[in-house]
Amino acid sequence: MLFLQFLTTGVVTGCFLILATIGFSLTRRVEGFLNIAHAELLGVSAFATWWLNAEMGWHVVLASTAAIVFTSVTGLFVARLIYDPIRERGPAVLLITSTGVAFVIGGVIDALIGTGIRTLDIGLATSYEPFGIRITNYQLMVVALAVIVSVSLALFLNRTRTGLAIRAMSGNPELAASRGIDVRTTSRATWLLSSGLAGLAGVMLAVLATLTTDLPFAQILQVLAVAILAGLGSLYAVILSGLIVGIAMDVSVYWIPAGYRPLVAFSVVILVLLFRPEGLAGTRAA
Amino acid sequence: MNWLQIFVTVVTLGSIFGVVTLSLNLQYARGGMINFGIVAYFAVGAYAYAIFTQPAPQGLDQYKFGFGWPWPVALVAAATAALLFAAITGWPTLRLRGEYLALTTFAFAEVFHSFLLNERRIGNGTVGLANVKRPISDWGPIEEKYVFAGAAALLMIATLLVFRRLLRSPYGRALDAIRDDEVAALAAGKSVQRMRRQVFLISAIPIGAAGGLYAMFTTLAQPSLFTAEVTFIIWIALVLGGERSVYGAVAGTFGLIFFEEVVRTWPFETVRSAQIAASVEHIVTGLLFIAVLRYQPFDRIAERMKATR
Repeated sequence: MLFLQFLTTGVVTGCFLILATIGFSLTRRVEGFLNIAHAELLGVSAFATWWLNAEMGWHVVLASTAAIVFTSVTGLFVARLIYDPIRERGPAVLLITSTGVAFVIGGVIDALIGTGIRTLDIGLATSYEPFGIRITNYQLMVVALAVIVSVSLALFLNRTRTGLAIRAMSGNPELAASRGIDVRTTSRATWLLSSGLAGLAGVMLAVLATLTTDLPFAQILQVLAVAILAGLGSLYAVILSGLIVGIAMDVSVYWIPAGYRPLVAFSVVILVLLFRPEGLAGTRAA
Repeated sequence: MNWLQIFVTVVTLGSIFGVVTLSLNLQYARGGMINFGIVAYFAVGAYAYAIFTQPAPQGLDQYKFGFGWPWPVALVAAATAALLFAAITGWPTLRLRGEYLALTTFAFAEVFHSFLLNERRIGNGTVGLANVKRPISDWGPIEEKYVFAGAAALLMIATLLVFRRLLRSPYGRALDAIRDDEVAALAAGKSVQRMRRQVFLISAIPIGAAGGLYAMFTTLAQPSLFTAEVTFIIWIALVLGGERSVYGAVAGTFGLIFFEEVVRTWPFETVRSAQIAASVEHIVTGLLFIAVLRYQPFDRIAERMKATR
């Protein structure tokens, strides 16, 4: 029974990780580099929601919507200002630069928010106990949102012009450009989308956890784990890997101390990189 | 503000971290390896030093090993431990390139950090090992802090000289050849894999020794001292000083440590303003980092100097 409880929590963790990783993976596919600062965008959104909700007294739905839009625009702004001018220097320099960006965003959040723990003004979670397994309404919401986001993202990428353009660019930018796709507009759309997804994940973080300013950056470790397992690119594999990492971390608590959760996530990373560097989905982009 | 105290601290910490930056410079600028887990090798050195000098566990101690050996042996052990750790982590990871290598080394560092946090039998878990042994407390008329600053500076200068000698030898030219054109170097009969591994191992030795010295200086080996932030700070120092020059790496580290020390010792009126200053320090560091990566001023100066010579 306890095992099933851990499994359920694992699914919830996995769904959160899916939300947090999809945007990261999308950036990696289209822009071609690992944006370490993605995790700090979760923080931007989480603390914007907190400020609007708990300090300004906005309703949580309104506050989170505003926070997501703000995060989305922040992401695009950072990309235009910092990443675009050094694009031709290659993924390694972009990766290193993004750690600098993470420093700056993290510092700004620290300066504005300060230390201490923060919670949203949304009331305590209601818990249900079907078949003796405890799950809260907030946890169910994370699962539902992960499903909705995955499905609508799949539809977006397969059915709309912009979505198809994004996929074309992730496959082969030069070819996409020569076929008449506006590379700059598509790139901007991708930044808005991936940062917006980071924003959504940030709201979920604020709903599920008590916020501290170092919490968002701690998520990058798990996000990286999921992204690598998924093969640094494929979107469908992100869903599977998110669940695998989430469940592996929470179920491991059944046997080993809870402090080892990040260790479990990273053992997954190391094993994958050593034995199957191309990730679950292989070299073929989904 | 006690500027003399700041100066001594900057020399000590700047030299200790300067050793790490120099080693990273060797790995990245010469070997072409992105090591995003450099802090782990530093931590291994610090913990090895602490474990070898600590007395056997007693009372509330949760650690299992404490050898109580003299400090010179422990310092050698620190360097050896880092070398061994590099051998263990380098063997599987060095097959990977670029960002994949960056991620694996990052992952190894995180696993190691998490291990130190949770495995109380190694170093008391989160509490860490306190009262790490310092050599002797009585240095006659010279104050202990100057001895430390001198020792750290010596270690850094030794590292610098050895690396410079190495890089100016035929071996160093072979390294540059591999970095610039791997296929050509391979065709000329250089084993790329083996040389990359050698550089990785060689550069771990001074990092371990610096870690041991750091544990000696802070008298503490605690997981919270060895977070990913240290890795980023070292990277920032390296980039600030210009990737291609050994002196730049040292200058970058000293500059950054000086900046941090000034912010840390500045007499702030309230706790809140000290907090804000610490965050602003992060922001400024990050901005400098981004700007230097983008405009590469030091690389340009170095090129110009080379051109006029």
